[in-house]
Amino acid sequence: MKQFFAFTKKELAESVVTYKLHILLAVFLIFGMMSPLFAKLTPELFKTLETSGIVIQMPEPTAMDSWAQFFKNVGQTGMLVLAISFSGIMASELSKGTLIILLAKGLNRHVVILSKFFASTILWTVSYLACLGICYAYTAYFWNDYTIHNAAIAFVAPWVFGELLLSIVIFGGTLFGNIYGSLLTCLSIVVALNVIGIIPNTAKFNPVTLSGGTLPLLGGVGEVSDFVPAMMVCAMMIIALLVGAVLVFKKKEV
Amino acid sequence: MNTLEVYGLSKSFGSQKVIDGVSFTVPENCVYGFIGVNGAGKTTTMKMIVGLLKADGGTIDVCGERVSFGATKTNRFIGYLPDVPEFYGYMCPGDYLKLCGEIVGLDDKVSKTRISELLELVGLEKANKKIAGFSRGMKQRLGVAQALLGEPKLLICDEPTSALDPIGRKEILDILQRIKGRTTVVFSTHILSDVERICDRVAVLSKGKIALETSIDSLKTRRNSKSVTLEFAEEVDADEVARVLTANGLPLEKCEVGERSIESLLLEAVK
Amino acid sequence: MPENISQFIPFLVPIIVIQFGLMVAAIIHILHHNKYRFGNRALWLVISIFIGIIGPVLYFTIGKGDE
Repeated sequence: MKQFFAFTKKELAESVVTYKLHILLAVFLIFGMMSPLFAKLTPELFKTLETSGIVIQMPEPTAMDSWAQFFKNVGQTGMLVLAISFSGIMASELSKGTLIILLAKGLNRHVVILSKFFASTILWTVSYLACLGICYAYTAYFWNDYTIHNAAIAFVAPWVFGELLLSIVIFGGTLFGNIYGSLLTCLSIVVALNVIGIIPNTAKFNPVTLSGGTLPLLGGVGEVSDFVPAMMVCAMMIIALLVGAVLVFKKKEV
Repeated sequence: MNTLEVYGLSKSFGSQKVIDGVSFTVPENCVYGFIGVNGAGKTTTMKMIVGLLKADGGTIDVCGERVSFGATKTNRFIGYLPDVPEFYGYMCPGDYLKLCGEIVGLDDKVSKTRISELLELVGLEKANKKIAGFSRGMKQRLGVAQALLGEPKLLICDEPTSALDPIGRKEILDILQRIKGRTTVVFSTHILSDVERICDRVAVLSKGKIALETSIDSLKTRRNSKSVTLEFAEEVDADEVARVLTANGLPLEKCEVGERSIESLLLEAVK
Repeated sequence: MPENISQFIPFLVPIIVIQFGLMVAAIIHILHHNKYRFGNRALWLVISIFIGIIGPVLYFTIGKGDE
C-alpha cells in the first residue's frame, strides 16, 4: 500500500510539472464555458444576419441546447483530448526505461498499472467536474428556470466512457511500449465499438452509447435502465483491460 | 556463504543464443569483475539476476534465495545500477531518492538521514537541481546512490564507468572502493585497468560463455611468471632483442616496447 | 456590434484568454526547444496555431521532446 501511495503521488506530481493537469483543466474549462455560450449565441448571430436581409428561422434556444453542446464537445473532442493526453502514461516510461530502477528496487508491477489508472482517474474526474460545474453554472445563469432529469446517470455516463479510454491507453501502452501503439489500440477499439454499433439492437450494450447518448435522458426521454447494460459492459471492459495490462506487464522483459 | 550463485544460466533472443551455460559464484564481500566486449552478454546476465529478464534455463540464487522473473522477493538484497540509468528528469536527486525510499518501504526518518549520507558519499549533496541538467557522470553517481539506498547485500553495477571521462571514472571507482568490504559488488566493464584497481575476482565472458574465472591475485601471478620486463640502459631495437632471445632458446610469444599489461592476458582468454 | 451580443463579452473573454494562452504557451515552448519527438519546428508551429484546441494539446503530449 505504501508503494501504491508513493507511486500515485509521483504520478500526480508529474502531471503538474509536465503541465498535463493544466492542459486538461484548460481544455475542459473551455468546453464548460463554450457549450452554453454557443447555444445561446448561435441564434443571436443569425439575428444579426437578419438585419442584412437574410432571414433564417431559428427557434429560441433552450437549456437543452446548452447540454446538447456539452455532450457533443465532451463526447467527441473531449474524449480525443483525454486519450491523447494519457497516451504516454505507460508508453513513455517503458520507452525511456525510467521504470527499470524502480522495478529492480522491488516495485510491484501491478502497483504500477493500478496507481497509473488511479492517478489518471483523479485528473480526469477533476477536469470533468470542472467542466460540468461551469457548464451548469452558465446554463443556470442564461436560462433561469429549467429542469433536468436523471442528472446523476446522464452525467456519469461520459465519465465512465472516459475511464474506459484511460484503461485502453494504459493497456495499449503496456502491450506495445510506445505512444503510437497506445493510441492505435485506442483508435482500433473505438472504431470496433462503433462498427459493432451498426448491428441493430446492440446499442443498449455498447459503451459508445455512454459518450453523449444520455442527452435525451436529461430531457426526461427514455429510462435510466436503458443505460445500465452499457455501463455494465463498460465496467467489465475496464476491469478486463486493467487485468490484461497487469498480466502483460508481468510477462514483459524490461 | 556465497552472496550470488549462478548455475547453468542460458538465454536466447530469437534464434541467437546470448548466454550459454554460464556458472559462477560470488563470495560475500567480494568485488567481482565481469569482463567482456560489448555484446558478450554482461547486461543480459545482470538483468536476469535482478529479475528483469527471464532466463531460459539455469538457476540464480541471491543470498540463498532463488530468483524468479517478474517477482521482486530477492531484489530486497540487491542494489542495481543499469548501464544507462534513466531517472525522472524533473526531479531533484533528493526527491528521486525519497521516492526510492518509499518504494523500498524505508521509514521516513531513516530514509532522510540515509539520503543525506548517500548524497554526500557520491558527492551530490550540493547538486540541488533537476536531474535533467545532470552530466553522465552525475547521473551515474546518483545511480550508485539509489542502488545503495536499501543497504543491499549485493550491489550490481552494469558498466558504471564505461561512458565516463577519466575524472568521472575515478569518482565512481573511488565510491566503490569506499564501500568495499561492506557490500558484495558485481560490476561489469570492458575497461581492464578498472578491474585491476578494485576487483578481488574476475570472470571473463565471451560469446555467452565464461572463458576465464579466477582471482585477481592469481591473474597477477600468471602475468609475472610469463612475462619479464627488461630495461636497457641504451635504446634498443625490440626486434633485435627478440632475435637474440629466440636464438638462445627462449622463444618469445610477444615482444613489445613498454610494460605488458594484464590486458593482454585477458584478451588471450577471450580469443 | 448589436447590444444583445455585446452583453456576452464577459463570457467570451475567459474562453478566448484560455484558448489563446494554450496556443501562446505552445508557441513559446516550441521556439525555446529544438528537440521534438518527431516532426520539426515549422510543423509544430502550424499544428499549434491552426488546429484550435487539439493543436497545442498534441504538441505538449506527443510532440514535445524529452528534457
